[in-house]
Amino acid sequence: MRKADFVRQLILIAFAPALILTFACPGARAQTSSAQSAASIDNGKKIFARAGCYACHGDQGQGTNLAPAIAPPPLELSPTIAYMRQPTGKMPAVPVATASDQQLADVYAFLKSLAPASSVESLKGNADHGKKLFASYGCYQCHGQQGAGAAIAPRIAATALSLGGVIRYVRAPTGQMPPYTSKVVSDQDLADIYAFLKTFPPPAPASSIPLLSQ
Amino acid sequence: MRKSRKDSVNRRDFLKAAATGTAAAAIAATPAAAAAAPPPRITAPPPLLKLADAAPATAEVLTVDRPGSDFMVDVLKSLDFEYLCANPGNSFRSLHESLINYGGNSRPEFITCCHEESSVAMGHGYAKIEGKPLLVCVHGTVGLQHASMAIYDAFCDRVPVYIILGNFSDAAVRFGPVDWTHAAQDPAAMIRDYTKWDDNPVSLQAFAESAVRAYKIATTPPMMPVALVAGHELQEDPVPDGANVSVPKLTMTSPPVGDSGAVAEAARLLVAAENPVLVTDRVARTPAGLARMIELAELLQAPVIDRNGRMNFPTRHPLNHTERAGATIAGADVIAGLELTDFWSTVNSVRGQVNPTWRPSTKPGAKLISVTANDLFQKSNYQDFQRYTPVDLAIAADGEATLPSLIEAVRHQITDDRKRAFADRGAKHAAAHEQAMEAAREAAASGWDASLISTARMSAEIWAQIKNEDWSLVSNCQFQSRWPLRLWDFNKHYHYIGAEGGYGVGYGAPAAVGAALANRKHGRLTVSIQNDGDLMFAPGVLWTAAHSRIPILIVMHNNRAYHQELMQIQIMANQHQRGITRAGIGNLLDDPAIDFAKLAQSMGVHGEGPISDPKELGPAIRRAIEVVKSGHPALVDVLTQPR
Repeated sequence: MRKADFVRQLILIAFAPALILTFACPGARAQTSSAQSAASIDNGKKIFARAGCYACHGDQGQGTNLAPAIAPPPLELSPTIAYMRQPTGKMPAVPVATASDQQLADVYAFLKSLAPASSVESLKGNADHGKKLFASYGCYQCHGQQGAGAAIAPRIAATALSLGGVIRYVRAPTGQMPPYTSKVVSDQDLADIYAFLKTFPPPAPASSIPLLSQ
Repeated sequence: MRKSRKDSVNRRDFLKAAATGTAAAAIAATPAAAAAAPPPRITAPPPLLKLADAAPATAEVLTVDRPGSDFMVDVLKSLDFEYLCANPGNSFRSLHESLINYGGNSRPEFITCCHEESSVAMGHGYAKIEGKPLLVCVHGTVGLQHASMAIYDAFCDRVPVYIILGNFSDAAVRFGPVDWTHAAQDPAAMIRDYTKWDDNPVSLQAFAESAVRAYKIATTPPMMPVALVAGHELQEDPVPDGANVSVPKLTMTSPPVGDSGAVAEAARLLVAAENPVLVTDRVARTPAGLARMIELAELLQAPVIDRNGRMNFPTRHPLNHTERAGATIAGADVIAGLELTDFWSTVNSVRGQVNPTWRPSTKPGAKLISVTANDLFQKSNYQDFQRYTPVDLAIAADGEATLPSLIEAVRHQITDDRKRAFADRGAKHAAAHEQAMEAAREAAASGWDASLISTARMSAEIWAQIKNEDWSLVSNCQFQSRWPLRLWDFNKHYHYIGAEGGYGVGYGAPAAVGAALANRKHGRLTVSIQNDGDLMFAPGVLWTAAHSRIPILIVMHNNRAYHQELMQIQIMANQHQRGITRAGIGNLLDDPAIDFAKLAQSMGVHGEGPISDPKELGPAIRRAIEVVKSGHPALVDVLTQPR
């Protein structure tokens, strides 16, 4: 007789990066300049240190056994801020009262400055081929055939991750997701899968679905 | 000439006597023999066969007026079993006959099962709804081997199942090769590691006393299956003339309650805490348990994380924080585990790569309290007791039975200042709960119109059809990403019965039918979301549901795979870096695809599907519910996303 339950162990943090950023520096200077400016980067560096982000993510944002690598950030700025406001893993939430959007943007700029942009960002993906790979490589097993997500793995359709962020994560995931090394999935395959995932529109808001208002 | 065994020598006694050289004397002791023969002169024990041949032809026994199994029925009736679930077996044929004729096939009523695993799992599901065991009879050998996985599930789930094992105990009276093959010296040995108690009585009075004792043991927390051997000869031999046999009185044992000092200390810790958290798993066994859990949580304004081994806490209660368990645990300064099976994984998180790594989920200094009857009784071999957790206060007691005294102790220690603080944190918890519910609804919208149908959509479609009924969900939601628990309004004790306990696949379908059997007399609409792989273990339970007119709505979560294992092989393929496209081998159930609607129809169950268009699902469920309301089972096959 088979015994088949590992769900309790496949929890919460399969794909979503647990960005632990705690801001306890109300005096940090609000920035009005470009998020990429030197001043912004410098301010972000100070916030990163004073808030203790390094304690879990490492002083270069390289990741530790407590939290994933976040340099360069795997998400675009807007979803990064959204995640920090309402994280899904162990990371505590960072409310506006603790850190403004601009302060978070400064930290983001600092993290982007720590690592050069990956060359894989220039890869062009083939969505049709990516759809086939999504099935044959078994991505659907945890994320669903349309990347809609499940209790054991998050939604990845129309992902907010950059291609570089996706590739970095699947090569060395920090949660329960198994690693997909380059021996089994090439960067080009991942670019194709990424292109497929980008073909999905964002889900309709729950408020527009009567069955979800019961 | 035929002779009734009421007037004859008991064959077993005769053969026993032969072995000691007194058989002839025993024969002579009967009135007929005494008249026909002079007193015997025994000089030495003759061969057994010789003695048997020597029995006069006129003494051949062909009928029995009052078999021992009639008395067994008297005993079993005193325990008030509603039903007997069994696949027939000749090692308990006499008991079977006594139950249906002498006992009138009423309390217990015989429910014909097509597999012993189904018999036990039906008892498992039934007990979680009804709060008491039903009776299961199995062949003590091959039948028990079939039943063993289901017994293990019930054991791990701390559920009482009462099992009678038929056995050909006396080798001298076995009829032939099958009786020998189906006999065991110690039938219960193979399940002793995962039952609470068993016995092999050799007299009817011993059977009676052990039967009542077994019931008490099974139903005293921690509850577990028990097994009682009913020897073939004990069943079939007549009750001896003048035998002084009686049915002992059953006095239920009160469940163990926590020590008053320890309970007071637990209350002190909870009242003083800034962020106490209650974690429940199997604490609410009855409606009263559910009510007490609400009372305790509201008194403390403490969030509850429900591991859902039972229906412990309403899903839409503002203090239900199951959806945000990680953050809630991370912020807690006191965590009380109430009949919490796996405390370790509650306060630690694992990263399950090549070498699993654990780290605490709690903040330093968080105090841990456990209240569980598992501290009173553990077995050694099977490791369902989970990893050892060093808690700060361990109360060895039944959780539900301890709740009243814990509530009273908490109430006694709350000051006005604490009441104000509790009110403040209650408002924050309510807001966080609503936010988590909204996040769940937004997540459910993802892939809403997908075909194959998402498990969130399937759950929402079912809910739309049952929400105004008196419903009872009797399947484990885990494989549907817990969507029913995230979207439906669970607030009664029979709204959910938890999972299999031992994670043994094959529990789902029969346990659901057993739970539906219990729900039938209450007029509840029983719903089961049924996994395809699970149903294929013993689909004959569909026939049992049809045959016994057990109304149940079965909605198939048909992802055409042993999907949990598919993911496991994918993990191995990734770790081993040998290609990741062949994980389906050994795991998929798709070539040919199983037509579950036809499978159901073949056994007299209403069947619809397969349905892959989400727009067709609601109407199909409505049609099926009409069938269920007419007193019959119905199945809707839904082609779904994996999870």
